[in-house]
Amino acid sequence: MTKELPAVLLEEEDEQFRVSPGGWLGRGVVWALLAWLVLAVPSNFLSPFEIGVTDINGFSHAAIFAIVGLSLNVLIGYTGQISFGHQAFVGLGAFVSAYVVTDLGWEFWLAVPIAAGFGAIQAGVLGLISLRLTGLYFAVVTLAYGMFAQESLFGIAAITGGEAGKAAPRPIGFESGYAYYYLCLAFVVLVLWLDWRLMKTKSGRAMQALRENPRVASSYGINVKAFTLLAFAVSGVFAGIAGSLLAHADEVIVPVEFNFQLALLFVLMTVVGGLRNRAGVVLGSVFFAFLGSGKLVEWFGLVGFVEGVIGLPKEFVALVIGPILLLLTLTAFPGGIGQQIAPVKMWLLGHRFDMHAGEVNEVEVTDVRA
Amino acid sequence: MEELAIALTFGVLQGSVYSLVALGIVLVYRVSGVFNFAQAEFGTTGLFGAYIAVVLWEWPFYLGLLFGLVVAIVMGLLTERLVIHPLRNQSKVTLLVGTAGVALTVIGIQFWQFNDPLIRQLPKISDAVYVTPFGAPIMAQQLITLAVLIVAAAALAVFLKSPAGLAMQAAQQEPVACELVGVSVRRVSMMTWGIAALLGGLAGVLSGAYTIFTAGFLTFGVGKALLPGFIAAVLAGMKSMPGAVAGGLVVGIVEQFGGLKMFGDVPGASALLLLVFLVVVLLLRPQGLLVRKATA
Repeated sequence: MTKELPAVLLEEEDEQFRVSPGGWLGRGVVWALLAWLVLAVPSNFLSPFEIGVTDINGFSHAAIFAIVGLSLNVLIGYTGQISFGHQAFVGLGAFVSAYVVTDLGWEFWLAVPIAAGFGAIQAGVLGLISLRLTGLYFAVVTLAYGMFAQESLFGIAAITGGEAGKAAPRPIGFESGYAYYYLCLAFVVLVLWLDWRLMKTKSGRAMQALRENPRVASSYGINVKAFTLLAFAVSGVFAGIAGSLLAHADEVIVPVEFNFQLALLFVLMTVVGGLRNRAGVVLGSVFFAFLGSGKLVEWFGLVGFVEGVIGLPKEFVALVIGPILLLLTLTAFPGGIGQQIAPVKMWLLGHRFDMHAGEVNEVEVTDVRA
Repeated sequence: MEELAIALTFGVLQGSVYSLVALGIVLVYRVSGVFNFAQAEFGTTGLFGAYIAVVLWEWPFYLGLLFGLVVAIVMGLLTERLVIHPLRNQSKVTLLVGTAGVALTVIGIQFWQFNDPLIRQLPKISDAVYVTPFGAPIMAQQLITLAVLIVAAAALAVFLKSPAGLAMQAAQQEPVACELVGVSVRRVSMMTWGIAALLGGLAGVLSGAYTIFTAGFLTFGVGKALLPGFIAAVLAGMKSMPGAVAGGLVVGIVEQFGGLKMFGDVPGASALLLLVFLVVVLLLRPQGLLVRKATA
């Protein structure tokens, strides 16, 4: 006797649901507030806050961190590989960019693609080596590369200017910190667009397939190695762009900035932000950028509490809170920040407010050997 | 020639720390298939445990060292229970990030609790220093580490042949079949992480006393053993125990060659040599040394 299987329930958009004029007004107000926060507040336009010249650099850094987060998202989120040497990719991008502008006297607009190219080459070569074996060998190879870059490569004074650092002037028209912030924002939009376009192509779908299960993907004729390499290269390009922007944001870059802790922070912010979720990754990166520089603690007036009661210097807050957030994200909220903000995001995009939007329904892989 | 002999001696001695770390990495990889980035941090945690007991609480010295090892084992078991077990069906990269998260959490706590003063020191088991015929000063502590490595590796070899050890190897190959014949995969997993943490703890408690230490000592501090440990494990094909021991010693020697006079002008020559060595191994013999068949 055959039993009838339960009908498959497709999640259909509620056809009856129409946003009322009041609803659109509410959404409009929230959109305007967001735009105001991102576009107007940093340049003190219609804003009750006073963002100083040093603080605006923090905003630029946050935008650059968002690019780094998106870069790591391509690796961890799309292909299931991980890099512990991203500080080296970003760092080399920064020094190459500074070298091109300062020593060669070329334009900033040329330095960015050159830095991006260096990023792609580094990630591609390391990827080629680590893909000799199946498994997460990229993590070990990039770890070794990061240590090498930190101790050896960035110690070559001809490239990095030694301890004193290397000058990296900003491009004409963007000399002020405020103007430069908008330049960084523009690059975030560019990277977001590239990322979105990439995921819409055949390559993007191939990458997602091979992340789910490389064996099944290869049996469908997907060249696993080639597409993993492509992802490495794309990630390297994004990291190079971020490095170039970082160099010119600080105007003087010193090698010690690019240490292993930075690589760990990059991984933290990407995973906590929420893998495969662009809005989440960007928010996570921005959050950790401000937390790492101690600005977030200052803004909320928590310096006294954190340093006095808990006994933690404010620069260490990210190092202590971040990992705990990471473990919580992994074990309890796999979607990260992206999952938490999903209801609001869907509402903003004109859907009904649904508390359960964005819940991650991971297909359980029973064969762990795959 | 003398210089070379000194580098070899120091390499083997420093390499024995890497071997201990690599043994733990390979053991965990064989059972859980995870690149365990918390392995070195088991050591630092054990080191801090021993430091708290010996220096802060003024316990008897050996009891304090034992306490450090117990702290490391507890951390290993907690890692398995709280992070590895809940994530066992997730992708490998999630597990890897999980172990890195464990390491970072512990480093964070160390920074928070021990930032004043940042630099600490644990007394050595023996303060004696010997000078070899060719002029290399060797700490007795380093010889003790080498001896502990030999004992630990031998004990591990015997253990893997015992019923419990065989159960461990069986569980890694066929978890389902193992459950059917009455081997508790859960218990085996706990045991593995416990032993791995003990190996890490030994490395930490012994090598931490070589010099001063800070938070994250074995991960990225002065005594960083995580990367060398991983290179040694790769050299062992991520599965051979003797390979891990030999790999650690080889990596130690390669690293010491970075200090030779011929590399005097190269900044960070040790890190450069380690990277080149890893790349060469992956290019020429990706399945590892001392491993007969290629990994499936």
